[in-house]
Amino acid sequence: MRRAAAIAATLMALCASGVGAYQLAPSSAPPSARWREIAWPFPRDGWPAGRAFHCEGGACDGAELYVRAKRGFCNCDSGVADDDEVDRVADIDLITPRFSATAPGEVVHVGEMHGRARRYDLAILDGTSRAAVGVALSRRCDLFVAAAQGRGNANAMQRAALAFLETREMKAWVVAALDGN
Amino acid sequence: MFRCVLTAAALVFFAGSTFVHAQKQTIGAPPEASNMKLVGSNDLQGRSAYQPTIHHQGDRWIAYIGHHGGTDDVLAPVNPMTGKAEPNGTSIIDVTDPAHPKYLRHLPGQEGKYESGGAQMVRVCDGKTLPKGDPNAVYMLRTFGSQAHEIWNVADPANPALITRLGGLKDTHKSWWECDTGIAYLVSGAPDWRTRRMTQIYDLSDPAHPQKIRDFGLPGQEPGSTGAVPTELHGPISTGPNGNRVYFGYGTNKGGILQIVDREKLLTGPKEPTPDNLRFPEISRLPMSAFNGAHTTFPMLDMPVAEFAEDKDGKTRDIVMIVDEAILNECGEARQMVWFADVTTETRPMMISSYTVPEASGQFCQRGGRFGSHSSNESMAPVYYKKMAFIAFFNAGVRALDIRDPYHPKEVGYFIPAITQATDKRCIPVEGGERCKVAIQTNNVETDDRGYIYIVDRANTGLHILELAGAARAVAGLPKN
Repeated sequence: MRRAAAIAATLMALCASGVGAYQLAPSSAPPSARWREIAWPFPRDGWPAGRAFHCEGGACDGAELYVRAKRGFCNCDSGVADDDEVDRVADIDLITPRFSATAPGEVVHVGEMHGRARRYDLAILDGTSRAAVGVALSRRCDLFVAAAQGRGNANAMQRAALAFLETREMKAWVVAALDGN
Repeated sequence: MFRCVLTAAALVFFAGSTFVHAQKQTIGAPPEASNMKLVGSNDLQGRSAYQPTIHHQGDRWIAYIGHHGGTDDVLAPVNPMTGKAEPNGTSIIDVTDPAHPKYLRHLPGQEGKYESGGAQMVRVCDGKTLPKGDPNAVYMLRTFGSQAHEIWNVADPANPALITRLGGLKDTHKSWWECDTGIAYLVSGAPDWRTRRMTQIYDLSDPAHPQKIRDFGLPGQEPGSTGAVPTELHGPISTGPNGNRVYFGYGTNKGGILQIVDREKLLTGPKEPTPDNLRFPEISRLPMSAFNGAHTTFPMLDMPVAEFAEDKDGKTRDIVMIVDEAILNECGEARQMVWFADVTTETRPMMISSYTVPEASGQFCQRGGRFGSHSSNESMAPVYYKKMAFIAFFNAGVRALDIRDPYHPKEVGYFIPAITQATDKRCIPVEGGERCKVAIQTNNVETDDRGYIYIVDRANTGLHILELAGAARAVAGLPKN
């Protein structure tokens, strides 16, 4: 009874908080991983700002995720064709212009969107190295991109990020963002 | 009192009908025009059109018009001359009599939809002008979808013959060909480069035997590089050996760059695509706002500027007109427009002016399709060069600019063709579905040495041949008509 009350209180607190917080699906990532929304950290560029999240707990603990729609993409039919495309569009360059891929990318799906994900090493100015994941997905002539960075394992970060994008709330937001809303 | 009410009601009705007319094009309505008038037209078999190139060929004038790929509804329109469905390619039209253009031939392109098919780019050089060309030949350089560049002999424009094919590419686009030297700057997607579009430079002085000179792009785009990938190429324009400059435009609707390059160093410098070698021929760059790209970079060097005529220095200026490309329908992006850069001091290029169609003049954001600039005429024939520029502005048609003072460009005419049954719809996503509108989408424009203006439609409405009228003729020094 006391446990149920605690869970209820936690849920109420989450709902009442000013920022979004999302629990990952248990089957896709450790249940304790939670993405808390933070302010978009990058200066204005050619694309409207997206949303940013900080991972608390689980395998992605401490990682940050940046997501946004990029409407107007010429490859309407071929979609995200190769890893070079991911290098170009996935917003890794917002974190740092100095990055290098650690391996060939792979095909990924989020909802009905198809694309590719690729993992990177980032060279940060303070000399430390971080891992990053870039994801680029296409819907007709538009793109949806995600970039995650952190000190943890890139594979785990990618799984956690993709699981988060598959949540109902995020999928609804992605559709709205790609619709220009 | 009753009279006042009637007048007010009539005014409201008139204002309302004007508003509706301005917002929505309807089939059967006349074109909208000021100081430009229609001379002739052709439906281009209902194919989405990109680059028109007009070539004076013997005693004839031939228009070569590149096409985008097919649409979702019609992948390969039927060519009424053959009775067969043919993937969009190149339309070849005799425009000697511009009032009665005669469709000669459709040369099919790559299968595919929109930018994934067709043969959108085309340039033409006479064999007698090319240093090692067959003097009896006329060569048409065209893209073949995203896969290849092709050269055809179009001496008989109704019966082209394939000469050369340069394939194995992942993309192509808006190439440039110097007819007096044969040097071609082919916008290509070399498979090993990190960008979709870069430059492959070829010596095509003998079109039957192309000689590769080098690959070129911005450092960070070359094979093996890491980190951020600079904005992809849209197209270059060269001033040839006399001007010794090539102006490269990078970007479409974002992150544009004007790059000024020393042509001689580009052609003779070290060719291995290392960052140092790619930087070697570069004189300067003008980075644009993240909101705008550079579709066309049109040089107009040594322009006398009347306002500066009494100044001790700087009476003439080197100007580059930069045209962005709008991509999204119904104003779903920052405005794409026209910019003028003063590049007289080449290492310190500076934007000096801009031009856009006023949106409120036609409620263009409500009309459907794209609103914003796309391209300019690229002919350097004396009839208009450094005096007037023509800008394709999608649903706002073509715009005629007086650019004699590039610090203060001024619109002096426009023409928005009427839509037809062939005009394709343009849609935007709305709440899980789509909302579509039909509007003209003037995509590209070119002029010929006689002063005719050729505009083509991205939404399948065809070719319209125009001439200047009224006060706009005086700007170009043309006699009254």
